[in-house]
Amino acid sequence: MSSTSSTPTRGSFRGLSDVTMVGRQVRYEQLSFWLNPLGAFFTLGFSTIFLVLLGAIAGNSKAGSGYGDALLHQYYLATFIAYGIMAACFTVLSQTLVNRREMGLLKRLRLSPVPTWSLLSAIFLSTMVIALLQVGILLAVGALGFGDYMPGHALAFILTIVVGMLSFTALGVGVSTLVPNADASGPMISIVFFLLLAFSGLYFTITPGSTLAQISGYFPVRHLITAVLASFNLPAGTNPWAWHDLVVMALWGAGGVLLALRRWQWAPRRG
Amino acid sequence: MPAVSVQHLAKSYGDTQAVRDVSFEVEKGEVFALLGPNGAGKTTTIEILEGFRDRSGGQVETLGVDPADRSTQRWLRTRIGVVLQELAVEPYYTVRQVLGRNAGFYPSPRPVDEVIALIGLTEKADERVKRLSGGQQRRLDVGLGIIGNPELLFLDEPTTGLDPSGRRDTWNVIRELASAGTTVMLTTHYMDEVEALADRVAVLAQSVIVASGTPASIGGRDSSEVTIRFTLPDGVAPADLPVPIPAGGIHAGQVELHTVDELRLLHELTGWALREGHILAGLSVLRVTLEDTYLRLTETAPNETAANETAQ
Repeated sequence: MSSTSSTPTRGSFRGLSDVTMVGRQVRYEQLSFWLNPLGAFFTLGFSTIFLVLLGAIAGNSKAGSGYGDALLHQYYLATFIAYGIMAACFTVLSQTLVNRREMGLLKRLRLSPVPTWSLLSAIFLSTMVIALLQVGILLAVGALGFGDYMPGHALAFILTIVVGMLSFTALGVGVSTLVPNADASGPMISIVFFLLLAFSGLYFTITPGSTLAQISGYFPVRHLITAVLASFNLPAGTNPWAWHDLVVMALWGAGGVLLALRRWQWAPRRG
Repeated sequence: MPAVSVQHLAKSYGDTQAVRDVSFEVEKGEVFALLGPNGAGKTTTIEILEGFRDRSGGQVETLGVDPADRSTQRWLRTRIGVVLQELAVEPYYTVRQVLGRNAGFYPSPRPVDEVIALIGLTEKADERVKRLSGGQQRRLDVGLGIIGNPELLFLDEPTTGLDPSGRRDTWNVIRELASAGTTVMLTTHYMDEVEALADRVAVLAQSVIVASGTPASIGGRDSSEVTIRFTLPDGVAPADLPVPIPAGGIHAGQVELHTVDELRLLHELTGWALREGHILAGLSVLRVTLEDTYLRLTETAPNETAANETAQ
């Protein structure tokens, strides 16, 4: 039997021990991720392989109208960095949350003495670690394979990555609450995501100011892509601090938070 | 102070009343079973006691605190263990890893290897969870419920899906915990589980408690009629028997008697048989089973039960 105090103690926050608990949980989240090598490979490897393939096919061809002398593989490097963040923080996270909810894992965690904020923070931080790893791998591909091509403005790039991770993590949590069951999570999340990616300029350039750019501008995917492109100075002369894109992403992220606050459920929906 | 105190508990999901006016207490160190058909409100009741779900009305105390009180919820959760109805174990960890992770949630957990041995998974300690059989995963689930060294353990249908030996192993774990002083509250569909484990049982039907007591006495089971059966000996006419035989009491040579005074009747019958040199072949004394009592108590309106299932 438990030998802890028999007098009920009030309050939830335990100071440093709770923060330590977050670190411990992040380690277990990472362990869970790496113990599924196939899942880890497809999460991290897909964008890398795609970037290398598209970059090789593109060769020295130009990115297209609106991007001046920029090369297509340079364009792809920026867009696939945006993709990597969205894949980890939005697609993988939301599907993970739906699966865990429907398997009863979230309910079990909720019934443990570990505070909710600590459990969720660990999941989100682990997701961001994976996103950062993805960004690092893609930057390495840019440095080694695309002639030492790196972001033109490092601080703007870092800010864009951070805002992108936070916004798409929040969106991923929010969208997970809309998915009724684990079977629906693949079609609902992946298909919508890939459609948005296709029309937001992941695979082909979209001329800034075009109708497609305006339509895709209503969705957050386009804004992360253009913000990362801006930090690479694409198109040439663009302000690397893409404040408008960052604000729109943050607003979408706030929407995700509101959705999560309204609809979050620890128990399986069985929908 | 009881481990669990429930007074006039009510819970609604919209217009559907999942639990209404439920009252019972569970004493410390007791194994208490909550029986009832699907949708009767068992899981809802347990979830309210765990602090997982808020109630609509009534008073509830778990280990002396209101489980809905957020300020003491963390304290409470260090002292309770939960085995959920659904199997909920991460597939990629090994048995040791998942127990080790959960042990870290508690201030004074049981040693991981001790729990692994207790649930009979020593040989599988370093096996991935996804490679375990369904029964082994269920046992691991029980291990996760007890890893925190709980004072009070909630088991929601803990042996569903287990084979007979797995069920017996789980029963032994529960008995061991109970003998060490852990209070156990379980829900189950299995009558033999209740008879094997529970000190007391309450039957929940149509969202209310319809009976409670020991497994031997619930629903007046201990004072109800017993059935005595035997084969009429060769060469003996019914009128020769030392006890009166009611109309229809003999069928195809089988005698069936119903009585609330089985001791006297058996004494007369066996005394007569010994004196006269007869054999009462197939002599049996059948008390009404717990299942008979349960079925009688839970004859419910189907539409209401179905409504509760939908709500949950």
